[in-house]
Amino acid sequence: MRVKKCVLTAAAPSQRRLPLQMLIDRDGVERSILAILFDEAARAGIEEVAVVVCPGDGEVYAAVAGEHAARVRFIEQPEPRGYAHALACARSFTAGEPFLHMVGDHLFVSHDGNGCAARLVALAGQEDCSISAVQATREGQITQFGAIGGQPVAGKPGLYRIDAVLEKPTPTEAEQRLFVPGLRAGHYLCFFGLHVFTPAVMDLVEELSRQTSGPCSVSAALDTLARSERYLALEMQDRRYDLGARYGLLHAQLALALSGADRAAILASLVEMLALQPGGAGGRS
Amino acid sequence: MSRLLQVITAADAEVRNQPLEALCTELPLADLMRECDALEEFRRRSHNLYERVRALFFLYAIHRFQIPRREATAAQGRIPFHGYVHLLERRFEEAIREFLSEQRRQGPSAALSSALAASYRSLGFQTLADQVRRSVRSTRGNQWMFRAGHPLDAPLQVRRELLSPDPATGLFPVLRESTPVRMDFSHSAWSDIFFLGMDYPEGARVFNTSIDLAVRGSGEPRPPVEASFRIIDEPVLRLVSVDLGASASIRSTDEIFDFARDYLGLLKAAVIASGLVPPGMEGSGLDLEGLLGRLTGSRGLGIELVSRVHDIPKGSRLAVSTSLLACLITACMRATGQVRRLTGGLEELERRTVAARAILGEWLGGSGGGWQDSGGVWPGMKLIEGVPARPGDVEYGISRGCLLPRHRVYPLDEITAETRRKLQQSLVLVHGGMAQDVGPVLEMVTERYLLRLDAEWRARLDAGRILDEIIGCLKRGDIRGLGACTHRNFEGPIQTIIPWAGNYYTELLITEARRAFGGGFWGFWMLGGMAGGGMGFLFDPDAAAHARDTLGEILLETKRRLERGVPFAMDPVVYDFSINENGTMAELLAGPEALMPPGYYTLRGPSLLRREARSLTTLQRRELEAFAAAARSRPGWTGMAYAMFERLLPGAESASSIGRQALEELLAANGFDRVQHEKIRADLRSGRIGLAQNRLPVATAIEDVREGDVTDARHGLPPALARLGEDALASGSLAILTLAGGMGTRWTRGAGVVKALNPFVRLRGRWRNFVEIHLAKSRRALARYGTDPVHIFTTSFMTHAPVEQWLRRERNYGYPGRVVLSPGRSIGLRLIPMARDLRFAWEEMPQQMLDEQKQKVRESARAALIQWAVSSGEGADYTGNLPEQCVHPVGHWYEVPNLLLNGVLLSLLEERPNLRYLLLHNIDTLGAWADPALLALHIESGAAMTCEVIGREMEDRGGGLARVDGKVRLVEGLALPEERLEFDLSFYNTNTMWLTIDALLGVFGLTRSDLADPVRTREAVRRVAARMPAYVTLKDVKKRWGKGQEDVFPVSQYEKLWGDMTALPDWRCAYVAVERRRGQQLKEVTQLDGWLREGSAAWVEQLCEF
Repeated sequence: MRVKKCVLTAAAPSQRRLPLQMLIDRDGVERSILAILFDEAARAGIEEVAVVVCPGDGEVYAAVAGEHAARVRFIEQPEPRGYAHALACARSFTAGEPFLHMVGDHLFVSHDGNGCAARLVALAGQEDCSISAVQATREGQITQFGAIGGQPVAGKPGLYRIDAVLEKPTPTEAEQRLFVPGLRAGHYLCFFGLHVFTPAVMDLVEELSRQTSGPCSVSAALDTLARSERYLALEMQDRRYDLGARYGLLHAQLALALSGADRAAILASLVEMLALQPGGAGGRS
Repeated sequence: MSRLLQVITAADAEVRNQPLEALCTELPLADLMRECDALEEFRRRSHNLYERVRALFFLYAIHRFQIPRREATAAQGRIPFHGYVHLLERRFEEAIREFLSEQRRQGPSAALSSALAASYRSLGFQTLADQVRRSVRSTRGNQWMFRAGHPLDAPLQVRRELLSPDPATGLFPVLRESTPVRMDFSHSAWSDIFFLGMDYPEGARVFNTSIDLAVRGSGEPRPPVEASFRIIDEPVLRLVSVDLGASASIRSTDEIFDFARDYLGLLKAAVIASGLVPPGMEGSGLDLEGLLGRLTGSRGLGIELVSRVHDIPKGSRLAVSTSLLACLITACMRATGQVRRLTGGLEELERRTVAARAILGEWLGGSGGGWQDSGGVWPGMKLIEGVPARPGDVEYGISRGCLLPRHRVYPLDEITAETRRKLQQSLVLVHGGMAQDVGPVLEMVTERYLLRLDAEWRARLDAGRILDEIIGCLKRGDIRGLGACTHRNFEGPIQTIIPWAGNYYTELLITEARRAFGGGFWGFWMLGGMAGGGMGFLFDPDAAAHARDTLGEILLETKRRLERGVPFAMDPVVYDFSINENGTMAELLAGPEALMPPGYYTLRGPSLLRREARSLTTLQRRELEAFAAAARSRPGWTGMAYAMFERLLPGAESASSIGRQALEELLAANGFDRVQHEKIRADLRSGRIGLAQNRLPVATAIEDVREGDVTDARHGLPPALARLGEDALASGSLAILTLAGGMGTRWTRGAGVVKALNPFVRLRGRWRNFVEIHLAKSRRALARYGTDPVHIFTTSFMTHAPVEQWLRRERNYGYPGRVVLSPGRSIGLRLIPMARDLRFAWEEMPQQMLDEQKQKVRESARAALIQWAVSSGEGADYTGNLPEQCVHPVGHWYEVPNLLLNGVLLSLLEERPNLRYLLLHNIDTLGAWADPALLALHIESGAAMTCEVIGREMEDRGGGLARVDGKVRLVEGLALPEERLEFDLSFYNTNTMWLTIDALLGVFGLTRSDLADPVRTREAVRRVAARMPAYVTLKDVKKRWGKGQEDVFPVSQYEKLWGDMTALPDWRCAYVAVERRRGQQLKEVTQLDGWLREGSAAWVEQLCEF
């Protein structure tokens, strides 16, 4: 399976401005988040990208797309009907081909600098099936993510065969329905914001959008996918940053800076800030 | 291999289910001891929970019922004090080790076996409880809550829909959960007890239905319990119970885990079990503000949770409290997204999670029910069955069954709407009003099943068959057949297994129903764990309407007839009910509808109105406006403003002032000695008297009696003595003196009924009370010895009128001889206890620790009670209860001199000059009878008084026979300088005594003729009374309020005890050791079962002629 296309969703009204934010990248260059995400896709060998946006947003997005602008097209989601519907809007773009899917409100920072998406796309090619990047997450945070249950794939550390997918479960629900052998107690595998999907996913999200008039999440479709075809999860050791979270942009910027050329300068600056700060962190509040 | 081990480990169910009793009956002592050794070794090494538990129960039963019966067992033995302390502090293994080592040293004895039996039984139940606790904690969906120990770990967030106030009214939406309760057709003889479902899942089957209720005449049936959840603009967790009139604004986690501090324990348990404040935070001492901020997503906001029970009294046997717990948990789970839908019903997995959480909540709150109790969460009629544990279940490999059962809801095509309608037409649901504790019944059932007692095991299987018949009847629409089944279930298996599940009251009601409705009465229906509270009566539909009208009168009339002898919490009520086909449901109230239940405002409103307007929060101001609007316009709310103002400004003549007046009248009518009372109060407050001061000086030498101090009559007395005694009896020289002046505080935990009249056991096919049994023994003596001993019952101001009326109504139970009442004239006024005495009793005296969670609840309750004593005024008069609950008789010492004071003895002596002896005994010493040999022994000894003692066993607490500074005498437990000393005393006081009347008069300095001189007699009694010590004691007293609610308060009183007469140097006492079954006193209802099973009841029965 060769993946050449990428769908990036950025149409949620609450996150539509996020990809436009400017950050200093690993190389010390000021760039938009959108451009950084396009880099991530390009490193994975993606040739074409579609960004699902709110009506009228295409132009401002195009303005910050940087050198990738020629390979990007913008697809409008006519009304805010949720994540699944947003994905379904790109059906004609994917045109029956497998595709990489990235969420527009996350930033991915790999340890080795080769890119998280590249690893996922390569693995999808080998396994010839849908595959989602996941990360072990403490139960205290799982209500913010989609989460999976599944079994480890023998002989392939970090790879799981997905049995069930739940959207932002409470720990109660997670404990009852999401089983993953070998994981630490109180931890669940939550979506990382990166997926490679087979064309079947487009059928499922479209079907789901048709059935539901209101907003619907992708997790329900992926739960169905797990029951209908081989669907894997890759546990990532890399980091992803939720830009929409409180201080999300700050964390993302720090992560980029600390993984790039200016690491020493940034660290020195942080140490200085800490030293000047009276008292310390911690406490039991 | 041991025979009993083969039974426990057998794969074949027939071998495994053999009754222990049959296996042991023929075994001699040595063989029994060998079996015990094998069982002990086995239970230590076995990894299988149920084999281990069964071995423990076998060991318990052998020590409790078999070893004491063997002739070779020593009647006497010494229980080591250290072992006893281990047992109290729940170190069961250490206690067992200590007792076994002592057994090896002393040889087997009844005393040591009693200690071992208590230890094995407690360890058995502890092992089961631990397993349930582990299962509850490890149930999927519950585990995370035990890991979340800090607000930063807390993953829950309140749903967005609840977080925004309405723009127009400013009110946050209210999530309202309404839940029906469950009514069980049959629980297959308590098969839903957790332990039993996990031991024998195949037999754990319950059929129940969810119902709505209303007290008859109060409107249409509706879900009886309701919970309301909303956000508030203060960073507190506010808990409100509308029906209990309690509210608290909680700011710290410690307060949440303090269950018994107020009436909000159930709400707190729900908050914890739903994960709002996860159990992992217990003991963290954290403020709630951070957690509330995380839950609501905003600092400054809080949560309010309100519970309401719609006029359904406690003890309805419909699992109202578990249903309320489940209802509250569901509301909290919905609000935090743990249930998918914010409104409407639940999905199956969600119901199961709620049920698991309710079990967790019950465990946290120290209560416990069966697993069917959250049945109201499910809709309509369902069969609930135990589930065998399979690989992957947390119980697998540990117990045979899972903690949670499986529910199968019956659709309308299996049990038709028509059948359901017919059932509603025919069934009359009532609350009989009795106050009961089902807890002991559940333990008894568990014990019987694990021991596979023959009749009980067969009855259990029979109950299972009846359940199938019940379902069959429902499928056929045969309501008459259903009535026959429920009736047969109650009369047959239920009472075969637990005789105490029925009672005299219920029996009378059934008889009355049959008399009033003849063939129109189709059957009785026991609800829940026992009869007397919530119950059902099935009628022909043509008779049912009339029955609904008249059954209430029958109930009330029967209650009035029995209420002085049977504890009632309230007057009976008749319900209207309907089957609820939805289960628990929620709605979201928004805009002007977002109000709490009406009663909330009468409870909370006054405190808000008393505050300055500027100190109210925005929400509080808006809410008062909305309430005012609702009170003007909404139907059902119109009286609320008035009710709120009534609460704000209570009427001038309150109920408490009326009660106070009645109390004064009661005291005045009974010669209350105000001067003496004030002296006692002053002494108590100054510390001159008190629990610690009851004790003899530490320098007192207290030793066990020596050889020759006690005559041993346990293996019989010479026949010549019996002949002598028979002659004495035939000559009319004996009168029986039964002490019936006390209320039996321990018997009913201070319910204020007359113990003597409590019909507590069925003998020869009828329920009998203590008075009747004692008279039946006297009647038997008449038949045997040709005389009719006078039977005197001493009474007090509390018991005289009820006993007199009862005896008149029952015509002295047909006793042909003289029955005389000897009224007492002494009355005391109870005092609010000193915190010092409460601490002494609860902190310094060795205490029976409870299971971990129950102990926490008890400690919390005790802290609250000490606080109550301090804030109410230590040593002040206790007047905050019904007048008769505020006063007390002043100990049984006075009951004997009263005979002299009230002229009873004088008139008897005039009437029967031959009368020379009295047999004095407590009302609850059922084995005491006019044994001629013992009478003769007394006569021959020449002693003024012969006291009967028994060999001490584990339950015999409270002093005994001792050498005190060299004098042999009875010593009260209260007077012993150290608890340990009691364990050195071989004999326990039965308080059964043979008295020579002239010697008795002599000690008072009187002769027979002096009795005619009341002044001289009074003076003589006063003189001796002054020589008797007065003990300060703590007694429990119940206070009833609301809808069948009961609180138990400790109160101080003082008493003088007859046993202290043995300390007088100027009269001679002798001591005789008698059989245990003769001397045993029944102080607590929990003793009844063992008394019945060990054969003592049968022995008493054969002493009687009814």
